[in-house]
Amino acid sequence: MPNITLSAVSKSYGGGDHAVKNLDLVVPDGAFMCLLGPSGCGKTTTLRMIAGLEQPTAGSIAVGDRVLDSVEQGVYVPPEKRAMGLVFQNYALWPHLSVRDNVEFGLRMRKVPGPERRARAEAALKMVHVDAAMDRYPSQLSGGQQQRVALARMLAVNPSVLLLDEPLSNLDARLRLEMRAELKRIHEESGATIVFVTHDQLEALTMATDVAVMNEGELQQLAAPMEMYERPANRFVAEFVGSPPMAIVDTGPAPGGLAGSLLRFVAARDPEVTPSAVGIRPEALRLGAPPAAAWSEDALVEAVLPAGSSWTVRLRVLDTELFALSYTPVRAAPGDVLPCWTEQLHLFGADGARLSSWDRAGVTA
Amino acid sequence: MAVLTKTEPPPRPPRRRRLRYRLQVLRHDPTAALGLILVVLLAYLVVAPLIAVLSDAVRLQFGDELHAGQQPGEWTGYYLWRVFRSQISGLLFWGPLVNTLVVAVGTVLFALLLGGGMAWLVTRTNVPGRKWLAGALVVPYMLPSWTFSLAWLTLFKNARAGGQVGFLESAGVRTPDWLAYGPLPIIVTLGLHYYPFVLLLVGNALRRIDVQLEDSARILGAPRRVVVRRIVVPLMLPALSSAVLLVVGRVLGTFGTPYVLGLPADYQVLSTGLFQSIRDRSTGVASVLATVIVIIGVLIVFTDMRLMREQRRFVTVGGKGAMDRLGDLRGWRWPAFALGAVVFVVSVLIPVLTLLLSTLTRTPLDLSTLTLDYWIADRLPGAVGFPHGILRGSELWQAAWNSLRIVGLASLICAVAGLLIGYVVVRGTAPRIAGFLRQVSFLPYLIPGIAFAAASLSLFAVARGPVPALYGTTFLLILVMAVTHLPYSSRSGIAAMMQLGREPEEAAQIAGASWWHRMRRIIFPIQKGALVTGIVLPFISGLKELSIVVMLTTTGTQLLTTLSIGLVDYGYTQLANGVVLMIALLSFTMTSLTQRLTKSSLASGLGG
Repeated sequence: MPNITLSAVSKSYGGGDHAVKNLDLVVPDGAFMCLLGPSGCGKTTTLRMIAGLEQPTAGSIAVGDRVLDSVEQGVYVPPEKRAMGLVFQNYALWPHLSVRDNVEFGLRMRKVPGPERRARAEAALKMVHVDAAMDRYPSQLSGGQQQRVALARMLAVNPSVLLLDEPLSNLDARLRLEMRAELKRIHEESGATIVFVTHDQLEALTMATDVAVMNEGELQQLAAPMEMYERPANRFVAEFVGSPPMAIVDTGPAPGGLAGSLLRFVAARDPEVTPSAVGIRPEALRLGAPPAAAWSEDALVEAVLPAGSSWTVRLRVLDTELFALSYTPVRAAPGDVLPCWTEQLHLFGADGARLSSWDRAGVTA
Repeated sequence: MAVLTKTEPPPRPPRRRRLRYRLQVLRHDPTAALGLILVVLLAYLVVAPLIAVLSDAVRLQFGDELHAGQQPGEWTGYYLWRVFRSQISGLLFWGPLVNTLVVAVGTVLFALLLGGGMAWLVTRTNVPGRKWLAGALVVPYMLPSWTFSLAWLTLFKNARAGGQVGFLESAGVRTPDWLAYGPLPIIVTLGLHYYPFVLLLVGNALRRIDVQLEDSARILGAPRRVVVRRIVVPLMLPALSSAVLLVVGRVLGTFGTPYVLGLPADYQVLSTGLFQSIRDRSTGVASVLATVIVIIGVLIVFTDMRLMREQRRFVTVGGKGAMDRLGDLRGWRWPAFALGAVVFVVSVLIPVLTLLLSTLTRTPLDLSTLTLDYWIADRLPGAVGFPHGILRGSELWQAAWNSLRIVGLASLICAVAGLLIGYVVVRGTAPRIAGFLRQVSFLPYLIPGIAFAAASLSLFAVARGPVPALYGTTFLLILVMAVTHLPYSSRSGIAAMMQLGREPEEAAQIAGASWWHRMRRIIFPIQKGALVTGIVLPFISGLKELSIVVMLTTTGTQLLTTLSIGLVDYGYTQLANGVVLMIALLSFTMTSLTQRLTKSSLASGLGG
């Protein structure tokens, strides 16, 4: 099965505003790629362009050697001829057809004969565990069941490219957890290439093999999930991925206070590096006696917010507010002053792009 | 790892390339083509008649060369002069204008008082039999508006106009002219027809006011009086102003009532004046009058929309507001009920029973002449134009068949066109086409029906290019009726499609279904319900329609409504009343059936 290739794809609606700007993206064969970004970043538009429901204003889209869209060559393949699968955010089940007929629809369109059609529909419904509701209508199903039927409808035609547009966003937390595992299993079993749109970083981190972070129509970073978390390509990615978000301290022309302290620390390790911003992830910020190699300052505890399995602590360090996230109980009360430290800093240049990071191993690119 | 920094806007391929790509896309998506066809049709059926009537108003017509001293077809101010400044302009325009205003203001006041009061009674008080009253008081709106005028004549007619006199005269009471004809009866009968309209609009608004808004004021220390004055009434203003303007708009275009009650006393309003001019074949004058009516209609609706927009900020969407809290009338409960019941009796029972009774006696009120002849006799002596009972002969059945056929087809066209317009709008592949369709399909709403009919006559009465003269054909009737009801069906079509969204179709597209398949298997099956209501609502209102069709029918294309008006012209009171009763029965049955079946309320079909 082939790669999906987007080359220099742009999409604008009428005026000068671009929903997608000059996007180059290759989805490798068999990948589970997440398009991640805040709402309005162009991720859904990108997905719909791959499906053929929207048309780019420039650039081309191809699956393997087959060109699906090319503004330059005047090629356009309509969605019904692309043989892909798409699950919509609101499922878009047809209300006038039973679950079975919903799932069989695509097979009918492909002229699959009756007995085989029924067998395949049943198999697809069994795969997502809604075969018991086969003869019901969509309005009689719960949200989770509708979602599964939408998945089954797509899986029944066995497409090699599966597109999913925030399919889990309308589910409650427990179902979402269940469906994540389910989707991962389906990906492994079917071997299909999946493009998955979400604004939920947790979904992206847990399911994807590749994550493409987008913002304002532009690709920010394309990387494996953990790579993206550990080495964010720029400030946007650094702040978008991670919860609570990474604290980023601008150094400015005359760095004092916290920025000064961090800069002095970095300069002592590698004089070559001159970051204009330094980032600290809350989970990398610890309280208590610092190890020898760590950066450390005194912190005033302002509030302790327990959340069951973790504790968020609001600190004031050299007149700057910082958050620390701890997975062990925090023995501190508001008003306490105690040292905070970290062994991991993210360094960004003046243009916001990642310069390097520092951890116990030293400064690395 | 790919990192993009902020770039310049991406380069666009050359225009020719983009066009080629766009054509490829259009080839696979017929929405734009469909939209274009609809645009051409609407432009021809909606915009062209208006242009035609405008041009007729300022170009010299055949036959007027001598008076105007110009050649036919030349630009002329002759008709404008004739209507606005000449010696007969008082007769042609200013008199009817004043009369129209009098009737409109009177009707509005009457309807507002009655409808507003009744709305308050059934929505905000614990009057006994609230549910029944709420349903019963809307019935007058289901009857053709001139039912009341015929009933009025049957009661109050005096000897002045000739023919049979009314019940009162035959009982020996002299009814003066001012009571039998002219502004007073017109205002009362129109008011009786339009008060349910006010009741529905105001009642809905009253029901939608969030009780919490009133409670907040009470808690802050405002006495009941102040709450009503400072909170409830201001919140009601949009609904009230809307009701006022829409009633004025309708009165402006209404024909039947002023024709029946005004003509015997030479009391002309704009709509009857227009009718008269067309009948006299003074096309130029008629065109000027039609244009004036169109302009007033447009102004009214624009004012309404402007007010609505300004008052949009008042809209309160109260989740819990739906819970009823009813004012306690205490000792006034039963008197209040009696008042509601009286309104029902006066606006429904008396007119209908009067009409019924009149068809059963040869001489009014003389029970010794009780007879079923007017319904079933083979021969009726004295009635030359209609020499047998209503149910005998072919006239009624032919007219009924024509009504069903013409109105039915028009409604079907209307509903399908409405859905297709909704489809094009929602698909969004052609935003400019969608915008045009939205606007133009709404245009007939601004134009009183009688003026639109006049405009259509201007365009279609003579052969133009490849289109033959359509005057007197069923085809023209169907077209005009469909177009005048298009605003409602396109509104509801757009709403239905919006609610559905485009995803269901896109899902089918992804599943591999062609456009034709998607329409047949997905869109239309899902929209079955919307299609049915889209057919039924125009159908019901079309059955009662007189203003639009009165100028377009000929003896060959008689409808129930025009048949009845024709019988009024002949002076066959019993027969005319009988036919109107049939229409009322048909329209009432269909409305209540539809309401029961679709659980939709009449209010949604009002377009208010």
